[in-house]
Amino acid sequence: MQQQLTNLSDKELISRARKQLDREAESVLIDRYSHLLVAVTIPHLSSQPNLDPNIVFPALLQRLNASLKTQTIYKANEWILHIQKGYLGKPEKNTPFYPSRDGRDLLHIENTVDKAATNIIDRQDLIVRLEQALQRLSADDNALITQFYLENKSFADLTAATGLPREKLRSQLKAAKAKLAKLFMNQGYAS
Amino acid sequence: MLVNKPNNEKVLKIFSAIRCLSRDQLPRYMEGRLTDVERHLVEQHLTDCDLCYDALTALEQEENTERYQDLTNKLQRYVQNSIQPVSHVQKVAQYTRKEKNKEHMLAYFWIIAFIGLGVGSVYVLRGHMRNQPPVRIMASSLPQKDSVREEVATGVPLVTAAENNPGTTTPAPATTPAIQTSAKPATAPVHPDSAALKKAAALKAAQKKAAADSIKKHTLLQKQADSLKKEAADKVTAKAEEKKPEQRPEQKPAAPKEKQKEQAPPPDPPKRETPSTAVNSDEYLYKAAMVYQQQGNLNEAINRYKRIESVSSGKYVEMARYQLAICYRSKGQAGKARRMFKEVIRMDGSMKAAAQQALDGM
Repeated sequence: MQQQLTNLSDKELISRARKQLDREAESVLIDRYSHLLVAVTIPHLSSQPNLDPNIVFPALLQRLNASLKTQTIYKANEWILHIQKGYLGKPEKNTPFYPSRDGRDLLHIENTVDKAATNIIDRQDLIVRLEQALQRLSADDNALITQFYLENKSFADLTAATGLPREKLRSQLKAAKAKLAKLFMNQGYAS
Repeated sequence: MLVNKPNNEKVLKIFSAIRCLSRDQLPRYMEGRLTDVERHLVEQHLTDCDLCYDALTALEQEENTERYQDLTNKLQRYVQNSIQPVSHVQKVAQYTRKEKNKEHMLAYFWIIAFIGLGVGSVYVLRGHMRNQPPVRIMASSLPQKDSVREEVATGVPLVTAAENNPGTTTPAPATTPAIQTSAKPATAPVHPDSAALKKAAALKAAQKKAAADSIKKHTLLQKQADSLKKEAADKVTAKAEEKKPEQRPEQKPAAPKEKQKEQAPPPDPPKRETPSTAVNSDEYLYKAAMVYQQQGNLNEAINRYKRIESVSSGKYVEMARYQLAICYRSKGQAGKARRMFKEVIRMDGSMKAAAQQALDGM
């Protein structure tokens, strides 16, 4: 059972944990992200000595468990980060997780791309529309995205070429991608 | 606008979803031990995923790595220990709950079933009690000696006459042995008649109750007395005047019957001499019918009397007709009863006076 569950996607695990109250699915999901959760939490633990990992992690898991049953989760990683930040930032306040407009746009495009993988007509259509959106992007963004995604250049290559730190580079890339997504979504209105 | 083909397909890559970094990918990425393709995928994901990027930046600080390993292992163990046992416990609890529910339902079912059964049986029993007792009372009360005696006394006045007569008939020398037999008829059969009769009666007697036995005795007595009386009448015709005054104080209805018996003798003796078995069977039939009558089963009694009437001959036809009339009377069929009584009177036998009396009384 454990082996079968580990092969399932996040979405499937979440639906199982929610609809069938399958605690094994929940455990597999949490286990999948546990190392990231630990890595993200360690800086907080070291900066705040009053936090005990024996209390923080069970409490975090409890929160995750509670929100898993009530919240709509599009992306497990975003959800976990939100809960973690909410717990460590304001432990007394339980802010619900809600994906942003941009996040949902991105998710929508990802799903369309995913669907188009098996349909050649859809895929051709999608490619044409993405190319169009890409053409509308500003020159800097267009160049960055083309280099990173289409020319398969790594962070190291790009940092070396542009002289920007990795953090900055990543945020620029992220912003460019968000712009592209926005352009793609608004194509119908613009043209 | 057509762009070169390879780029064309790669555009889709911008928006393809990639999984978060797995547990072994993260250190390998940090150490640069990934293939180019894999590294590119990881970096693509890192641009989108804040969680993975934050984790990466956190782990890139040297002091965090040891704690990372330790805490990750602890957390994984904690998750596995806390969630899986719970799920197992939950399953067991669910199973036991289900079983308990099943048991409860079964218990309820049986309780309801038993209650239903009890109520049903009480209902049935009550219905049974309501219907049964009269039948039982009838069956048990009818054969009681008083009622039987009454019936016999009213139906066949000869019996009473016979019972009362012994005192009067004893002087006759021929009657003494007959009286002895009548005194203890069930034990020692003296007459060939009574012996054969006993055999036939023994079969039926086994089936019938003690009450029926007593009836038989009465009827036997009656028969014996009947025959005795006839013999006595034959022999003591001359002394008839003497007997009458003696009997009168005892029984008034018996007196006229004596006269009838004096006339009756001629048909009787040949009957007894010739087919004794036929007479016995007639007698037996007659008694059986009588028993039915006394038990209250009038229809059966009527059927049997009718058969006697059609099959046999002699005085039993007359007696059967007389009893038939009585049966009809007690059934409330006055017309038929009257007709039967008239027939008995027309036959001009021993029962004429009794029939006349009954007809007058109706």
